[in-house]
Amino acid sequence: MASVELRQVRKAYGALSVIHGVSLAIEDGEFVALVGPSGCGKSTLLRMIAGLEEITAGEVIIDNAVVNELTPRERNIAMVFQSYALYPHMTVAENMGFNLRLSGTPKPVIAERVAEAARMLDLMPLLDRKPAQLSGGQRQRVAMGRAIVRNPAVFLFDEPLSNLDAKLRVQMRSEIKQLHQKVGTTSIYVTHDQIEAMTLADRIVVLNQGRVEQEGTPMELYRKPANLFVAAFIGSPAMNILDGTVDGDGGEAAARLGDGTSIRIAPERKVKRGQAIKVGLRPEHLSPGAGGTALAGQTLLVEPTGAQTHIVFDLAGHPVVAIVDGEYPARYGARFEANIPAEQVHVFDRETGVAL
Amino acid sequence: MTDISTAQPIDAASAPTSGQRIRAGTQVYMYVSLIIVAAIVVVPLISTALGGFKTLGELRGNPFGLPTEWQWSNYTDIIVSKRYWLQMSNSLIIALLTVFLTLTFGAMAAFCFAHIRFFGADYLVNYFLIGLMFPAATAILPLYIRIRDLGLIDTYWGVVLPQVAFGMGMSIMLFRNYFRNLPSELFDAAFVDGCGYMRFFWHITLPLSRPIIATVGIISFVGSWNSYIVPLIMLNSESRYPWPLGIMIYRGEFSTEWQLVLAFITLTILPTIIAFFLAQKHIIAGLTAGAVKS
Repeated sequence: MASVELRQVRKAYGALSVIHGVSLAIEDGEFVALVGPSGCGKSTLLRMIAGLEEITAGEVIIDNAVVNELTPRERNIAMVFQSYALYPHMTVAENMGFNLRLSGTPKPVIAERVAEAARMLDLMPLLDRKPAQLSGGQRQRVAMGRAIVRNPAVFLFDEPLSNLDAKLRVQMRSEIKQLHQKVGTTSIYVTHDQIEAMTLADRIVVLNQGRVEQEGTPMELYRKPANLFVAAFIGSPAMNILDGTVDGDGGEAAARLGDGTSIRIAPERKVKRGQAIKVGLRPEHLSPGAGGTALAGQTLLVEPTGAQTHIVFDLAGHPVVAIVDGEYPARYGARFEANIPAEQVHVFDRETGVAL
Repeated sequence: MTDISTAQPIDAASAPTSGQRIRAGTQVYMYVSLIIVAAIVVVPLISTALGGFKTLGELRGNPFGLPTEWQWSNYTDIIVSKRYWLQMSNSLIIALLTVFLTLTFGAMAAFCFAHIRFFGADYLVNYFLIGLMFPAATAILPLYIRIRDLGLIDTYWGVVLPQVAFGMGMSIMLFRNYFRNLPSELFDAAFVDGCGYMRFFWHITLPLSRPIIATVGIISFVGSWNSYIVPLIMLNSESRYPWPLGIMIYRGEFSTEWQLVLAFITLTILPTIIAFFLAQKHIIAGLTAGAVKS
């Protein structure tokens, strides 16, 4: 196990700069998720940590040593790829033991380590099969087994669940979490799926256009997004964002929407009267009958999901999503009324997008 | 007179539509074309094999028909002769050396061109590919001079090296295309596992490249097996002649025993035909590799 640190890491392809000085410290045994939309540079950053991409500037430090010039093997990292990247001509056992074979480990030791990892991942009956004879989930487990066998300092996961169907993804997610709890190896996990990041990681780093927007625990990011980008990215369904103006100040501050609707803002928000803002309302915080500001509008869409129902209603001319109990008698066209407590109302500067 | 009242209505479902008629026409056209192409390939082969069973007189009078009396001795005399087997072993030695060197150097060069970026790589590839445009016969005189200067006249190497050189363009082109289409994640995974370029080539690329190895191997084997002009120029001793030069012994100053020439040709091309059929699947897979996304 080891700590990982990035110091002002930059990556450019010719004149095109894709990573703009990212600094990050990951502690020994920590599980960190890098999340962001496609093209934000998260996979590039992971590949730079792995040694598969050259670093234009800055330093990558693993276990207190600068590894910029070291090969992936010398960095003692293991990587699980989105497409599994299993060697098709080798059996499961050969795939898992390949890196040990290359390092000249004696055959009995390889067999023992492979068997140990296979038992951990429930792969024992599959050891003699070729990758083509395995299901998607089994292949992903083999890819993880290949990483475990070498007992690396750091695990790197590059969107490992993206190729799996929804049900299998949930199952594999728990397996990855259990695996991390068992082996405790420092792990860096890249995903564009914020649910995956929230459920797996000790800490999440949100990336956008090659820059870190915010880092923190899943709940910190959820409760206190630093800016509009993070607010919109974390949480599902996404936060409702509405234009507004601050009306009143201090303990009496409220956000006034375009149609005159007023929403109470928590006193600790640093807002000024007349300030142009964006108001963020999480769908799960808009509950009928709860305390706080009452918001009402015509129901535009009803989406039952079983335990919960998503209701899209009109608020100040904008469609706003609310999540209510599955038993709630929602009806298209009917008037929907929900309440939101002042402390759950997020406020962002309209110009800069920074949370206030 | 037709009784209109009893006329049956036309079953619209069973009547062919214009689309079906066009498809049927296309099928007929396709099959006729294929039969013509097949005939162009197969008729000379069968005529050659049958010609070997005829007498010289019958061959002149009836070149394409079945023999009236099957002259098995034309074939058996060749098969039992010592010279035939000596020439076969010469052909085999030359062809196998050619295949081995073409595969070894072609695959290694193509791997570099596929995976390693270095200054002038594209120019170098094009330089090799230019070789595709020139058959060995066009450069036979300078080739002879170079082989003579190397002291390789009348040796197997004198035939093998020019064949390898002239096969390199095709070999590099096919290997490079195939290697470039192997998933790049495999390279990343192997690199993380501790492979360098050589280990990746040996442990991952080569085992995954059996179809293209078979394709290039068969193409260079057949090319060497059928080669006539290079061995003719480079070899002097009859004891080193490969099969294609063996035909010359049936050609006299004033007459040629064509029935023996045909029997001999049939016996020499049989191994390549068998090899082609055995490796047909790999050859087609190798030639079409990367044509579509897998």
